[in-house]
Amino acid sequence: MSQICRSRIPHLLRTAGRYKEPSPGRCLQSGTGPGPQPVLLEFAPGPGVLTRTLLNAGVKVVALESNSAFLPNLQSLENSLDGQLKVIYGDFFRLDPLVPGTLKPPAMCSNKLFETIGVAAVPWMADVPVKVFGILPQKKERNMLWRLLFALYECNSIYKYGRVELNLFISEKEYKVLTAKPGDPRAYQALTVLWQLGCEIQLLHMEPWSSFVTNLKNGGLWIPKSVFLPNDHLCLVRLTPQQNLFTGGLKPTNATTFIFMVKQCLAKPKSRLTDRLQSWSLDDAGKLLRQLEIPRKAQARDLYPEDYKHLFEALQNSNLFIETWFHDEALESIRNINL
Amino acid sequence: MSVLRLRAALGPARLRGPGISWSVLRNYSSASAKEKASRSGVCERTELLEVLKARVKQLQAGHIPEVTLNKGELAPLSSDKLQEPLWKAVAPGPVGQQPGPRGGDEKPSRPGGWAEKLKKEMHVRQLKVERRLSIAAAQLAPEGQVKDKPKVKAKGKTKTKAKAKDKTKESLKSPESLKSPESLKSPESLKSPESLKNPNSAKSPKAKVVAAWSQSHTVPRVIYPHGKPRVLAVKEVAKPPRSQSGAKDSSQHKVLQQTIHSNLECFLFLQKPEEAERFLLLYHSSPAKRRLLDVNAYNIVMRCWARQGNLKHVNRLFSMLEAAGLQPSLDSYAAALECMGRVPPPAKAVHRCVQQLKHNGFHVDELFQKCLFEEDEKEMVLRAIRIVQPEYQLPPPPSPQTCTSSLLQDFYSKEKMVSYPKLDFSVQELQERFQRQLEMELDNTVTIESVESTKPLTPQAEKARELLATLRSQWHESLLQALQKSKRSMARLTTGSGYNTLYPYLCLLPDEEYVAIMMQILNSLSPQGESLAVLARELGNKIYDRHVTQRKLRSRQLEKVQEIYQGYIQLLARDSQPHQYLPREYWEKLVADAGFGPSLNLRDCSWPYVLLMRLGMHMLELLVRAAKVPRNILNPRLEPKLIPVLYHIYSFRSSGQVGLIKPHPIFSQIMSDAAEATLTFNSSAIPMLCPPVPWTSPNFGAFVLNDTKLMRFVDGAVQHQLLLEQCPPVNLHPVLDALNQLGNCAWKINQPVLDIIISIFNDKGNERLDIPPPVSEAPRPPTVPGGSAGSKTQKHELLLYKKKVAEMHSLRMDALYKLSIANYVRDKVFWFPHNMDFRGRTYPCPPYFNHLGNDVTRAILLFAEGRPLGPKGLDWLKIHLVNLTGLKKKNALQERLEYANEIMEEILDSADRPLTGRRWWMDTDEPWQALACCMEIAKASRCPDPAAYVSHFPIHQDGSCNGLQHYAALGRDLIGAISVNLMPCSVPQDVYSVVAQQVEEFRKKDAEQGVRIAQVLQGFISRKVVKQTVMTVVYGVTRYGGRLQMEKRLKEIDGFPEEYLWEASQYLVKQVFNSIKEMFSATRDIQNWLTESAKLIAQSGRTVEWVTPLGLPIVQPYYRSKPTVLNCGMQHLSVKTFYTNQKPDTVKQKNAFPPNFIHSLDSTHMMLTALHCLRQGLTFVSVHDCYWTHALTVDVMNQICRQQFVALHSERILQDLSKFMLETYCSPGRETRALWQKKLMEQLSNVPETGEFNLKKVMDSTYFFS
Repeated sequence: MSQICRSRIPHLLRTAGRYKEPSPGRCLQSGTGPGPQPVLLEFAPGPGVLTRTLLNAGVKVVALESNSAFLPNLQSLENSLDGQLKVIYGDFFRLDPLVPGTLKPPAMCSNKLFETIGVAAVPWMADVPVKVFGILPQKKERNMLWRLLFALYECNSIYKYGRVELNLFISEKEYKVLTAKPGDPRAYQALTVLWQLGCEIQLLHMEPWSSFVTNLKNGGLWIPKSVFLPNDHLCLVRLTPQQNLFTGGLKPTNATTFIFMVKQCLAKPKSRLTDRLQSWSLDDAGKLLRQLEIPRKAQARDLYPEDYKHLFEALQNSNLFIETWFHDEALESIRNINL
Repeated sequence: MSVLRLRAALGPARLRGPGISWSVLRNYSSASAKEKASRSGVCERTELLEVLKARVKQLQAGHIPEVTLNKGELAPLSSDKLQEPLWKAVAPGPVGQQPGPRGGDEKPSRPGGWAEKLKKEMHVRQLKVERRLSIAAAQLAPEGQVKDKPKVKAKGKTKTKAKAKDKTKESLKSPESLKSPESLKSPESLKSPESLKNPNSAKSPKAKVVAAWSQSHTVPRVIYPHGKPRVLAVKEVAKPPRSQSGAKDSSQHKVLQQTIHSNLECFLFLQKPEEAERFLLLYHSSPAKRRLLDVNAYNIVMRCWARQGNLKHVNRLFSMLEAAGLQPSLDSYAAALECMGRVPPPAKAVHRCVQQLKHNGFHVDELFQKCLFEEDEKEMVLRAIRIVQPEYQLPPPPSPQTCTSSLLQDFYSKEKMVSYPKLDFSVQELQERFQRQLEMELDNTVTIESVESTKPLTPQAEKARELLATLRSQWHESLLQALQKSKRSMARLTTGSGYNTLYPYLCLLPDEEYVAIMMQILNSLSPQGESLAVLARELGNKIYDRHVTQRKLRSRQLEKVQEIYQGYIQLLARDSQPHQYLPREYWEKLVADAGFGPSLNLRDCSWPYVLLMRLGMHMLELLVRAAKVPRNILNPRLEPKLIPVLYHIYSFRSSGQVGLIKPHPIFSQIMSDAAEATLTFNSSAIPMLCPPVPWTSPNFGAFVLNDTKLMRFVDGAVQHQLLLEQCPPVNLHPVLDALNQLGNCAWKINQPVLDIIISIFNDKGNERLDIPPPVSEAPRPPTVPGGSAGSKTQKHELLLYKKKVAEMHSLRMDALYKLSIANYVRDKVFWFPHNMDFRGRTYPCPPYFNHLGNDVTRAILLFAEGRPLGPKGLDWLKIHLVNLTGLKKKNALQERLEYANEIMEEILDSADRPLTGRRWWMDTDEPWQALACCMEIAKASRCPDPAAYVSHFPIHQDGSCNGLQHYAALGRDLIGAISVNLMPCSVPQDVYSVVAQQVEEFRKKDAEQGVRIAQVLQGFISRKVVKQTVMTVVYGVTRYGGRLQMEKRLKEIDGFPEEYLWEASQYLVKQVFNSIKEMFSATRDIQNWLTESAKLIAQSGRTVEWVTPLGLPIVQPYYRSKPTVLNCGMQHLSVKTFYTNQKPDTVKQKNAFPPNFIHSLDSTHMMLTALHCLRQGLTFVSVHDCYWTHALTVDVMNQICRQQFVALHSERILQDLSKFMLETYCSPGRETRALWQKKLMEQLSNVPETGEFNLKKVMDSTYFFS
């Protein structure tokens, strides 16, 4: 049992009395207008320390737990409350995996999940239908951020139901990546461009690692090492999908290609954009950039997220991306993310 | 002293501020020098100043350094002018590395350049002087023999005396004595008694400056501590001059040295001595970098000058050598003498040089015994020697040494020597074949007809081929232009750029050849693309190979090989006298008779891996940039625009991003439409058309021209080659002879079988028969509406489809290559030259088509030599057939034979109507080999006298679980020995079944005791479940890996409850290990001992090394190396090299040692069998632990195989290993008291106990190899 727990590090066992303002519950409530509160989906609540806080703050919570060891406790909590908490056996990290055949629990399909919660799909421009809350496991953090990103751009999985708001505890270094500015040599990455373009990113709360304890044998935390970026906190970040994400030439149908294009550009951040475009057999790159008012000598890391979107739209219009080869590689990269 | 003063004069120049212009400084220095010269009346000083002035002039004219001590002799300016453009074009200038300021345009940069050169020269001189002084001081101080000094000097060339003191002086003199007498004056003047007594005495203002300077610049002295200790050093070093650059050097050092050498070799090849010298100076002038230079680096530059007959420069290099504190080596003298041979100086000079050579502990004869001469170097050296010794005769070749290994006493004994088996060819025929092979290798590539070409040509294909032809000629043109352009821009740049410039490497071949190499890559690129690193390496290697070929031609090595080969075939041809030699011995004898000495070996000039990659990347960038295609070529509606044919893209994999080069779909489309009828291969991919050149050294053998290494190794590893080169040649003889034996086996094609295979191949293939179908046969792609919009499952299907297509394509191409090559040699007799991996396992060199291949390739190979079946041959054919079917594994040979006789009708049906009959052969383990065997049986049995039927068919004998056989023999495990057929038994034993039984017994016991998982497993334990784990135990599978294997097997069983998978597999792997431990008790001990020893060795920071019983040295090439990142324009390339971190990878060293050790034993067994089969006149080849011979000789081979196994294991293998390791890793005197050393010693001395199995029993075991 201890093995399983440890594999989900950092799993937080926060003693109830040690909260510091503002509590996650308050954080989550703030910023939403009047009217009915959307459902809050908490993934991997584990022993349910944060769940209790949320419940105390009066939020309606759906808990998605994949570890059967934690289920009995959560279920008894569920029973003790009058419908404020709903516990579901399932793994948020294995939602809609790209595998053939029927899914074996705890892997599950988002259709089923939303059916159980009782939330129907809303148009993209509508308000947030569901809020998701939880801590990303450190080892899977990056992978999860990518998977969520693909789902967001393709309007797949949870985003089939509208602009689902994520409230995630992520490490400070990933937060720095998500919010990096163009030109930042270390932090400005493909992930940055795509998240900034896709979502409004708000920092709700920062909590030093020291306020968390785990059941790791030595009692310490599994904090990933970070050389270039600070990593002293866990950050509660709100990621609200942009309403205008699909207003231009970018569509869920071609979004994979867009993601792939951004990844290609930022694979070597210091390379010039013209070189990159040329290496894809596009040789009137100069003209294209001039149209977009991007300097000819611009490096890949100098471009703002919006620039990438414009670039993509321009490429779409120039009919250069009909080439299927680009699509093949993009497909390959999804598969690698979804394994 | 005057030089010191001069340095003072130039001192301010060295310390100049960055803002002061050079012209000012120049004026200052020359003016002050004049002043000083006029003040002091010493004439030598004036002379030197004049020299310097002349030098300044020379350098201003942009000329190359001349010897400075030449009394101010001015080089004629006219020649300078002539040389200038050349200089500008090619020089790889050092300036980028220098602290001096550099201007953008030519004018300001020029003075900077010459001033620095001057500075460098001064620095060299100064170091020399400093050293001389310090040595002199060191000598004088304790001995107080000031008066001795002038006497010694006056003599100048005193004869050798045993006294250390004199020796030092001599060694100091050495360069001077090579120089013209005038030049001797000035250095001598330095040693005026005054200055020797007190070099720091401040008698004049100038001397004060000197003193101040030398105090503030003590660094050089620290780096080059001379004086007393050096006297001893000289004594020690004098003997083995080359071993200096030996093992103690770090690997990083080694790689950097290799880079320097290969750059210098480039200049040598290009005959650009000025550039070579400039490059050398770049290192020589910096004390830190100078340490990277060894005597060989100087030697290469010397050879450059020697080839031009420029003795002045050779002399200069000798003094540089001395300045660097290095001893001239034999090669240095060879270069000097070569130079003297070209432009004979007065006999006195030659005499002095020879004296010097002898004085350094060499002998004139050694020049001709050890030096690797190229072109006419040898003749020139001889000419020089004969100036002083007109009667000089070349030394007799050294008498051949014989291997003394006890395992091979019989083999090498001259009394029992029999003549080497003859081939069925006349001398004339072999000569012609050699010519054909040579022509093929000279062409570098071979274009052969594809087996697919028989298809009729469609009009579409015709059109595509035309299109391709025009495109190719365009690409050729644009590639050529791009290459030339890049070379031009590099040539302009090189004056300023650093040492890693590629420019010289782009000049080695004619431009056309580089383009041809790039075109080859373009034509062979798969539509799926290829990783950048792979392509870069391929390009780099191709250029290197081509260059080596050029060198072989240029150095006249090829002529020599041709001459020797002509004699060599006398040993093999049927119409020549029998010779009692082995191929290697005969070759060596011929070389000795021809008086070639070692010069048949090319000087090693391998390029460092990083350089190969850089060069390849440069080519690749050119290719991507230059090759373009109009994008409307297939679709005229589009705009006519040129787009690149190749594009670069990143693929994101779990391990990070990988750069790929992909062909544009338009290009792939044209290629597939054209369905070209030809394939182009490197000539080394085709089997040899004549018997291979025998291996005679680690660098020489196999192909005629293609560079082949004796030992294959991972890219970037230098350890193996070093180890082989350090190994005494006689120790390698058995291994070389075994490889020659394997390579000398002649092959031919089984044409009927090949035809059937090709017919199926061209008719949609057949997956069941392992003939890959064409991509057109792939299942239809799932229809996805609107690109990427499909649902998840559709996407998944699409992905699977793409993967399948890619797989099919690569399988199809592989088969196409193999069959096309086989088809190309279908009427020929051919040979597979062999080399080996680092454990001694042997492999044929041609990569695609060889007998190590799959069932299909093995089925189309026959021995070229035929032998009658003999009385038992037909039976062996039948047994072989049954073995190939895999049907009667547990039955005795007799039963297998009976079975074959029972199904004779099926066999004949298969043979007669392979595709139309009942097709019995298709349902066997190895269908194609079975079919070939059926045909052979049919032919033989229909012969009136089957015993006289001449068969070319190879019969295989397989070791049963060969790894465990070696373990069981090592540990003398009785039960283990029985289970792997080391003990005679009536039926073959099956170790997997035995283990399964044992595991089942354990399970039963546990189940009775109520162990839940044991009860669950009831009825699930079988041979199949345990097989893979048992097999891999030998190769060091861990519990972790074993569990995964088990899990896989259990999953395959229908009805095994899934929830118990983990627990059950865990349990099973434990029980399998226990069973093996019980059966092979000593085996596990040995394995543990090997593992533990390797762990301790690796932890002590050394790599695990051992020597096989045949004398082959082995080192495990696993290091914790950090990848070097190459910053190339297109992408950063991470290259694994072995120079940043040389620490061994403990885990790999430890885990790999037992299997590697066992592999080294099985390869030894194979080689022993091969050699003894040769003595019995058998045809023998091997696929690791599967031995092949004619049906007639199976019994003899079996006997030899068993004999050699017994002989091998009768050696004290583990004790010898322990002894060797103790010597290597625990040599006394090195931290003996350290704890780890003690522990290691204990571990290594504690050789595991063995059981009581009687090894001799193997002799009678039928199923040991069967």
